Amino acid sequence: MSLFRVNKVMERLNQMVDNAIEGRPIENGFDETKMSALETKLSNYLAMNSTTKEKLKEEKFKINELISDISHQTKTPLSNILLYTQLLAESDLSEQDKNCVAALTQQAGKLNFLISSLVKTSRLETGIIAVTPIRFSINNLLENVINQIKPKASDKQITLSQKGENIQAFFDPKWTAEALYNIVDNAVKYSKVGGKVDIVVTAYQLFCRIDVTDTGIGISEEETTKIFSRFYRSQAVSNEDGVGIGLYLAREIIAAEGGYIKVRSELNRGSTFSVFLPMEG
Amino acid sequence: MIILETRSLKKIYGSGDSTVHALDGVNLKVENGEFVSIVGTSGSGKSTLLHMLGGLDRPTSGDVIVGGKEIFTLKDEELTIFRRRKIGFVFQNYNLVPTLNVYENIVLPIGLDGNTPDKDYVDNIIHTLGLKSKLRNMPNNLSGGQQQRVAIARALASKPAIILADEPTGNLDSKTSQDVLSLLKVTSEKFKQTIVMITHNEEISQLADRVVRIEDGQIVGGVSNA
Repeated sequence: MSLFRVNKVMERLNQMVDNAIEGRPIENGFDETKMSALETKLSNYLAMNSTTKEKLKEEKFKINELISDISHQTKTPLSNILLYTQLLAESDLSEQDKNCVAALTQQAGKLNFLISSLVKTSRLETGIIAVTPIRFSINNLLENVINQIKPKASDKQITLSQKGENIQAFFDPKWTAEALYNIVDNAVKYSKVGGKVDIVVTAYQLFCRIDVTDTGIGISEEETTKIFSRFYRSQAVSNEDGVGIGLYLAREIIAAEGGYIKVRSELNRGSTFSVFLPMEG
Repeated sequence: MIILETRSLKKIYGSGDSTVHALDGVNLKVENGEFVSIVGTSGSGKSTLLHMLGGLDRPTSGDVIVGGKEIFTLKDEELTIFRRRKIGFVFQNYNLVPTLNVYENIVLPIGLDGNTPDKDYVDNIIHTLGLKSKLRNMPNNLSGGQQQRVAIARALASKPAIILADEPTGNLDSKTSQDVLSLLKVTSEKFKQTIVMITHNEEISQLADRVVRIEDGQIVGGVSNA
């Protein structure tokens, strides 16, 4: 075959692959040439591939829907359980019954948190709820979070402090507050009585950084990569309350806003969770 | 899927009494889409390791396998083309071409390979790295941080199997460094890009999904997945 013809064949093959990449039709007419047969073969192969991909996507969607359905259907009975437990707690009970009701309340609360977190993650994943970042004040965000955590912190005599410039960044105030609350909640939960939690804001040109530092139990290096996965719980905290979804949700939210979370920790010394949010859209 | 693997990788410089074992049997595995940092002091062998991973230098013994291919079975000319297609480099001193503007620098490796840039993809990268207003600028009109962002965009644009970053913030002040590192982190997640970054800075290394520690040419800590 002459060089000219080889070049022509290569050009045509190149064109074929370009079409495949761009999702354009591959078959360039039908004739008895090997080239035409090859085009049909590649076209069939790509069609097969995309069918598999579609199927996987569909299955994933179904699983997400299932999670969303389960979480929804359990919401009402759960609220009722919480309500009746409350009513029960208000009536005249023996000491033993009171203990049972307290345990019931605690367990129902845990289940409630789990279900509502699952609803949120499945909605984020299916795109039913989208994060809508806007320019918003970091101070307002922190104020909101600190007000929510204050009761828990004072229960454990933990000092909360906040430092840094008042700046505007680009994030979804409601969802980011949720993510940040989960992080600060952990900081309080895993700190000893009388400890402290510091929140420091630093502005860079493109990102702003919110550091949440605690003096708690810390996380081992192997575990720092795992703590963001769904339902991961460290052996070290198995006696603490929690279901292992808070940090997962936090990471999903921050990533959806174009930011990220970084963690630096030392066992028995404490941890710093840094949330990075973009300054511009 | 394992995208990058080293098997008993060794590099020995010199001979006799002056023998230096820069790498002394390194086994490392990197998953596709992972962001790994390799941290070590100067002289620990981290730069030697990065040069081997990128096919810039040949080992004394052992293999580097990228996408199932043992790269040192390739001839030098093949290795050059392999690097251009499969590896994106981000160096400490940016290494931009001074006579080309920002956009031309970003699409240069794509053009060298005889391809036309995937416009949507490149636009997306430019937007993510905040370079839209700088496309016509020449590199010497940019700050260090901006130049490094261009280098990151260039590395991403050709959709390499792996980006190798060698002290990417070594020449930047700490504030600018944080922005550049943030962009590296965000783009690695957004574009599912495998990144291997070497640094001597413990704080910077914590940004990665996984930290590997190297000392005297051997992996001593962190989780090497090997």
